[in-house]
Amino acid sequence: MSLLAATSLLLSGCAAAVAPAAGSGTVPSSGPNASATGYPVTVDNCGTAVTVSAAPERIVSIKSSTTELLLALGLGDRIVGSAFLDGPLPESLAADGANLNVISDFLPGQEAVLGLNPDFIYGGWQSNFSADGVGERDALASLGVGSYVSPAACKGEYMPRPLTFDAVFTEIAEAGTIFGARPKADALVATLKADLAALSPKTTGTPTALWYSSGTTTPYVGAGIGSPNMIMTAAGLTNVFETVSDTWTSVGWESIIEADPSVIVLVDATWNTAASKIAYLESNPATQVLDAVKNQRYIILPFASTEAGIRNVEAVSATIDQLANLSG
Amino acid sequence: MGVDLKHVSFSIDGTPILHNVSASLKSGTVTGLLGPNGAGKSTLLRLIAGIDKADTGSVSLDGITIGSLPRREAARRIALLEQNAAPSVELSVLDVVLLGRIPHRTKLMGSFSGDDDRAIAVEALTMVGADSLVDRSWQTLSGGQQQRVQIARAMAQQPSLLLLDEPTNHLDVSAQLALLGQVRELGLTAIMALHDLNLAAAYCDQILLLDEGILVASGTPAAVLTPEIIGTVYGVDCFILEHPRGGHPVIVYAAAEAS
Amino acid sequence: MTRGLYLGWLVAGTLALILACALAVTIGPATVTLTQVAGSIGWHLGLSAEPGAPVLVDAIVWQLRLPRVLTAALVGAGLALCGAVMQSVTRNPLADPYLLGLSSGASVGAVCVVILGLTFALPVAAFLGALLALTATLSIARVGGTITPVRAVLAGLAIAQLAGALTSFIIFWAAKGDSYREILNWLLGSVAGASWGSVTIAATALIVVGTGILLSATRLDAFAFGDTSAASLGINVNRTRWALLGGVALLTGAMVAVSGAIGFVGLILPHLVRGISGPGHHRLLPLVAVFGGLFLVIADTLARTLFDPRELPVGIITAFIGVPVFILLIKRKRSHLWA
Repeated sequence: MSLLAATSLLLSGCAAAVAPAAGSGTVPSSGPNASATGYPVTVDNCGTAVTVSAAPERIVSIKSSTTELLLALGLGDRIVGSAFLDGPLPESLAADGANLNVISDFLPGQEAVLGLNPDFIYGGWQSNFSADGVGERDALASLGVGSYVSPAACKGEYMPRPLTFDAVFTEIAEAGTIFGARPKADALVATLKADLAALSPKTTGTPTALWYSSGTTTPYVGAGIGSPNMIMTAAGLTNVFETVSDTWTSVGWESIIEADPSVIVLVDATWNTAASKIAYLESNPATQVLDAVKNQRYIILPFASTEAGIRNVEAVSATIDQLANLSG
Repeated sequence: MGVDLKHVSFSIDGTPILHNVSASLKSGTVTGLLGPNGAGKSTLLRLIAGIDKADTGSVSLDGITIGSLPRREAARRIALLEQNAAPSVELSVLDVVLLGRIPHRTKLMGSFSGDDDRAIAVEALTMVGADSLVDRSWQTLSGGQQQRVQIARAMAQQPSLLLLDEPTNHLDVSAQLALLGQVRELGLTAIMALHDLNLAAAYCDQILLLDEGILVASGTPAAVLTPEIIGTVYGVDCFILEHPRGGHPVIVYAAAEAS
Repeated sequence: MTRGLYLGWLVAGTLALILACALAVTIGPATVTLTQVAGSIGWHLGLSAEPGAPVLVDAIVWQLRLPRVLTAALVGAGLALCGAVMQSVTRNPLADPYLLGLSSGASVGAVCVVILGLTFALPVAAFLGALLALTATLSIARVGGTITPVRAVLAGLAIAQLAGALTSFIIFWAAKGDSYREILNWLLGSVAGASWGSVTIAATALIVVGTGILLSATRLDAFAFGDTSAASLGINVNRTRWALLGGVALLTGAMVAVSGAIGFVGLILPHLVRGISGPGHHRLLPLVAVFGGLFLVIADTLARTLFDPRELPVGIITAFIGVPVFILLIKRKRSHLWA
């Protein structure tokens, strides 16, 4: 039993690794002697030095956040393979991603990835780069394959505390620099910034909210320093667990009931649907008494839009809209 | 009355262990069950105890067929002590002897604090001369003491028939003699499987000699323990003398010839 | 130990259990006063006409804490009882209720439903998994209609390994996202999801099977010197063993279905209590049930409060307490292990 538990512990590191936002607010610059193309680029990425001498041409993207970012930067034709996606592409990127070569619904092994002859791997979680995943970053480097982790997902001292939109935008720009699409990235950031600024969260009070990701006996909820908190705050909601210094955390239902959130944000993922969470909330005698459950004050967000990336602003917008519908 | 074996046969997984064993043992006598290893002594004792059931033939005690009795009934009449009891048992001597009262308990969960049971247990210990050991821990006893306590446990069952499987194994001489003397003194019907022919000759009223599952001889020690029979069954050369005090046979073995 | 002293322990233990349950219901991340607890319970029991606490507090007390504390007590008692019986029947001091592959089988069932997103079916799936594993174990261990303890233990090991591999495979193959977390909670054992349904299942199983086990106390004593001695004392060895193993399997299966595989309770408590009550089962069994319940209520309260508002699976606490205690037992000269 303990061997099994240890295995699960190792794997659950993946689930806990989703912590968006780069630490520093600066975008890596090309070296002082950089050529006109902007290369070589040097970046400190989760503690690993990444040097890119030319724009990657054969990219493997792991997870939706990275895949969607590459597509949004117009680099879809440079993606030789994608894997471990979190959901369907958003409509705006459906056309760009029509020919996406999805090699696995789960984390692929090193051989499978190398078989695509990539020159770069862009991972959404730090744990993607493990020996039984796509490979350790050093090993890949020695094979001439560059690697880059979404900075928001860095663990340990590189974890952003807290994640902010600035950090998300910085990450987009950094990705643009690395992949040779800086202008496009800057344009994207500008659009997102404008969109964000244009949003008008409900200003009459900040209703309390619970970010319910998964779990029935022990709910897994959004805590104080990750993307859930970032999105909720931008939408004018107060996270009932904002004082917990973690990205996500496990709590007991007692704490939730005591907090009595006004609204419940439900993450919709294929592996844990919003519908199943609603069913649980409404059938459990303990949670049935919650005002939010009795009045069905739910906000539903697709999981992929909640990982740090280009869809966060959209998530905030969706939250605000749904919130307005609830109040009305 | 006593114990009656009528054409008892038994096999395990097709291998015959006992074949057509018949004997009649009088009440109150001590019978020695002899034979080389593998002769079927332990098996016969288990059949008499009713733990296993004979394939053919019957075993009866005081006229009642043992095979037809429910287990608990049989346990109230017959006590069997197997060879080499236990491993480390964390019981006190009194607890061990009280186990013998189990067949007499009602089926409900009851504790052994009934005065009756305790008194019987202490009496059983006294009978075997081990009453001073009553509060000791079983594990701290010597081999001889443990054997005596086991017999006390059997006595606590208040049986009419006592079955002992190699009770003197691993005991030194004085303990062996004391134990067998005690068994005789109890005055019960007893059947003991023994290795040592001399002990059997000294302490048994009659002998049953088994060889490869067949009863080759039965009768008094003098009748059974003859050089011819011993030679045939055990393959050894011996002389029989008369014990100066007891008058029972004493077997003296000739040294094996170097060949 | 005299009868009086034993009864003293039994009564004291029972009182401690009741007290611990009462206290545990008042403890938790949410602020709930004793009056509110009493008021809530009184209202639900029909003793008072008005709700004794605000709706949310009442939900916390009656729907979350009370079922949870009661489940912990019942599961602790059941597991301790099963552990004691397993150790006697297999004559193995390291035996625990999960020896026959029960928890591993239950894990397979549990993991399947979590992956499939059918968490509501968890208890049923876990129980079925446990039964399947038990059937497999017993058919392997059975030779010519009899089961020997050694064979049962070995067969249980084999099935546990197989089920463990199966569980790992399912996890690797199909687990995504947060399912790992739920699976881990279950594997480590937790009463966090206890509801009144859990209480009913656990109580029914404990009362029905537990009574049968308590009535077998004398028969269990007879096994002290081995099978032949037991038989000569009038016990039908094979039937008794089958019945006891079956009872343990049912009770353990029910407990595991409700709370996952909580470890160490079934292993440690019998040794601890045997040191007080002695090895006679008529004294050991009731006392081990009481202290098993007490142990788990305390462990679960710690699990809920140590890292408030985070909750640990109670299996972690039982391990952290259980292992040092076990080491102490092994090292003590007058230890009551059978080795």
